Amino acid sequence: MTQHCHYLSQDREVEIFEHAANNNLPVMIKGPTGCGKTRFVEYMAQKLNRAIYTIACHDDLTATDLVGRHLIGAQGTFWQDGPLTRAVREGGICYLDEVVEARKDTTVVLHPLADHRRILPIERTGEVLNAHPDFMLVISYNPGYQNMLKGLKPSTRQRFVGLTFDYPEPQHEVVIICQESGIDKSLATQLVSLAQALRRLTDHDLEEAASTRLLIYTALMIKSGLEIKQACYACLAQPLTDDSQTQQAIERLIDASF
Amino acid sequence: MEEFVGEIWHKMLTRQVNTDCVQASVELTTLSQQLAPWYRAMGGGAAKVIEGAQPRKFNIQRRWLQRIAGSHKRFSVSWQDERSLRLPTTIALFSQSELNEFVYFWLTALAAYHCQTTIDLQQSLVNQWFIHNQNASSELLNSKPGLRQQYQNVVQALLSQRQTITGNLNPAQLTREKAIQQALISPGSVSNLPLAPGDPLPVLLWLYPAPLHLVAVNSDDRLDDFGKSAAKQGVSRQQSRKTAQRIDDAKKTDGLLIFQLESLFSWAEQVELDRCQDESLDEDVASVADDLDIITLSRQRRAGAAKIKFDLDLPAAEQDDLPLGNGIKLPEWHYKKNQLVNHYCLLQPFLADDAEPAQLPQHLKQIAQTLRKQFSCLKPQRQWLQRQPFGEELDIDAWLDCLTQQTRSQEPQNVFKTRIANSRQMACLLLADLSMSTDSALNAQQKVIDVIRDTLLLFAEALTSSGDQFAIYGFSSVKNKQVRYHLLKNFAEKYTEHARGRICAIKPGFYTRIGAAIRQSTNILKLQQTEQKLLLIISDGKPNDIDQYEGIYGIEDTRQAILEAKQAGLQPFCVTIDEKGNDYLPYLFGEKGYAIIDDVTRLPTLLPKLYLNLTGIHA
Repeated sequence: MTQHCHYLSQDREVEIFEHAANNNLPVMIKGPTGCGKTRFVEYMAQKLNRAIYTIACHDDLTATDLVGRHLIGAQGTFWQDGPLTRAVREGGICYLDEVVEARKDTTVVLHPLADHRRILPIERTGEVLNAHPDFMLVISYNPGYQNMLKGLKPSTRQRFVGLTFDYPEPQHEVVIICQESGIDKSLATQLVSLAQALRRLTDHDLEEAASTRLLIYTALMIKSGLEIKQACYACLAQPLTDDSQTQQAIERLIDASF
Repeated sequence: MEEFVGEIWHKMLTRQVNTDCVQASVELTTLSQQLAPWYRAMGGGAAKVIEGAQPRKFNIQRRWLQRIAGSHKRFSVSWQDERSLRLPTTIALFSQSELNEFVYFWLTALAAYHCQTTIDLQQSLVNQWFIHNQNASSELLNSKPGLRQQYQNVVQALLSQRQTITGNLNPAQLTREKAIQQALISPGSVSNLPLAPGDPLPVLLWLYPAPLHLVAVNSDDRLDDFGKSAAKQGVSRQQSRKTAQRIDDAKKTDGLLIFQLESLFSWAEQVELDRCQDESLDEDVASVADDLDIITLSRQRRAGAAKIKFDLDLPAAEQDDLPLGNGIKLPEWHYKKNQLVNHYCLLQPFLADDAEPAQLPQHLKQIAQTLRKQFSCLKPQRQWLQRQPFGEELDIDAWLDCLTQQTRSQEPQNVFKTRIANSRQMACLLLADLSMSTDSALNAQQKVIDVIRDTLLLFAEALTSSGDQFAIYGFSSVKNKQVRYHLLKNFAEKYTEHARGRICAIKPGFYTRIGAAIRQSTNILKLQQTEQKLLLIISDGKPNDIDQYEGIYGIEDTRQAILEAKQAGLQPFCVTIDEKGNDYLPYLFGEKGYAIIDDVTRLPTLLPKLYLNLTGIHA
């Protein structure tokens, strides 16, 4: 990781994460889409000087994908560690992004790693790995609409130190957008004000709010020369809804804002 | 001939004085779907609805032609209260429809800005109204620079219209008009509205205080008129609400016969007839109502009030639903005897065979859409099964395991993958309390029965999307002799417009002998060949009936019925609207066996959680 990772602290999340890391405790990060969860974990990995193994969870993710599998090579079959096993062996942060998307049986393999035992039994090779002192387990998910239908099991949740993220305070969000995209402060302020108007539509007209990530995309498009309103139409109005009436209202809001 | 000339005269005059640009008019109904999110995004209250505003009387200086034509007395201005934002039903101010459309968006945004301030618009005096509108306009223009250009265009067009009236104004009125025009051009620049006789020409770019209501008499008359003709008239052509007041016209001497009945020659003599009114057609009444500023409601002389209501409890047989069969005898728990009394209750299944097919009501469509999206995720999906003896694809992992673990059998084992339709074995029965208590008002707009109806409809929409089997029944009771069990949708039937029509037609009546209804529901659910059986009860209060069922007897019987349901392998769960449900529901359903809702809009968040808890999908 050569590039320096920017992260603007909102609360005491950095301190909490450091304490969790020092005490060998796993961390669970909850928050809406695009509010900076992944960026935070990357930043902490850099700050703690640990490697990061990111796994984007999905419906078909199995325990094998995490732990490892036998493969066929020129010399016959051989065992290949999965990202979780690598992190356990070598140390580092194993980050399971959107963990609730994974199948229930998958998350159960995390249990012995997430409690005081810090072990990973590998059934297929008969090994029981003791976690490296630098190993840390971090999971994240969005408890909002999408994953309400797939909540995390209480037995899994109770093994983690929890952090709740939300979209940054407006003045922080302005700084983040300026920093990430390089646009000027007044334009970033207008974008944030627009985002706040759009966030008022959440749960009524929109399923999910306009994320900081979308604002950064918009700012990047503007910075690279696209007209402001066009960038907003493409990066905010279109991704947020498919409903034509709501989309027209959002476009009108964009027109009114610039 | 007179009529013909009169009509021509009327048309000519109307054309002369009409200032509307009809060809560029914009209707509120065409924009309302955009205005609602726009209002919320601007900071307006999420629960507020946007409705049409009725014209109001203004005492403005009129030209002689306008006076002859009797026009320009009433104008549609915008205003808001806690419940809704009222906008003109049509705007035809300008010859360009874009400008008219902009006025709608401008007024909505202005209303949202007014909401954010602590000003109580209804209480504000005219002078404050002048200042507040300027302040809100100025704030809006500062925070939304994209509106400035269009605002300037609209103001220019508006000023050119207002210039035409200045010739008729006296000096004081002219000074006031100038101040208004200046305030429109540069909001916030005029601190005082000069006094002048009469009202200024309405400023259609500003919000007005809510109309003052006259001191009204509360009606204590519970016999509302449910006539069909009245319901038809209730649908306003303009989709706006009329101001109404109640007056106390009860005559203290009414109802006393001070003559001998023998002297009563005929019934007709004693009926108060208003022949004028009798001869007028419904359409005339509707048009008269349109012209009235305030509709006065009398406590007396309701349509049909002259009829004597013979049956205060049971509906007449021909108006009742269709009873199915001779009834089902069910037991009831007698807590003093500590035993079930067999064949004590007679349950009568009913079917509303005359209910007309119905669409989902408009106000539920958005919530239903959200629910459908959420529940469609629960639809059983095809899944890969691994390590199968036969299948469509080779399971590489299984094959590698076979190769690497030599200690196992040498013969190829389960090394295939196959896809199966993963079905959830689930049946859900919804049982709704339709007792008379559900007729009581929950808040200013809703009765309990409305929330129950909405809940049933939303449940049905959601469960249809999830693909689970479900049935819906309602119940009420008249002692143990008649427990009325309404079939709204059974397990075999598809959820169609007919079922929806029956749900929409539910009416409150009688009492709440819930134990028998639960026992019957249990019997129905037991017949379902599914692994999981849910019994959802939607209620508004404690069990009760006019015999001993009141109080502890009813509670104990209900508890016993629920225990029986649990023993039969069912999962009972109660959704209640009773705020005091915490007192007795834990005893009946257990701590996690119920949920209290007070607002149907909470259902989209409540239902998926509830359903997941019950179906154990997340466990």
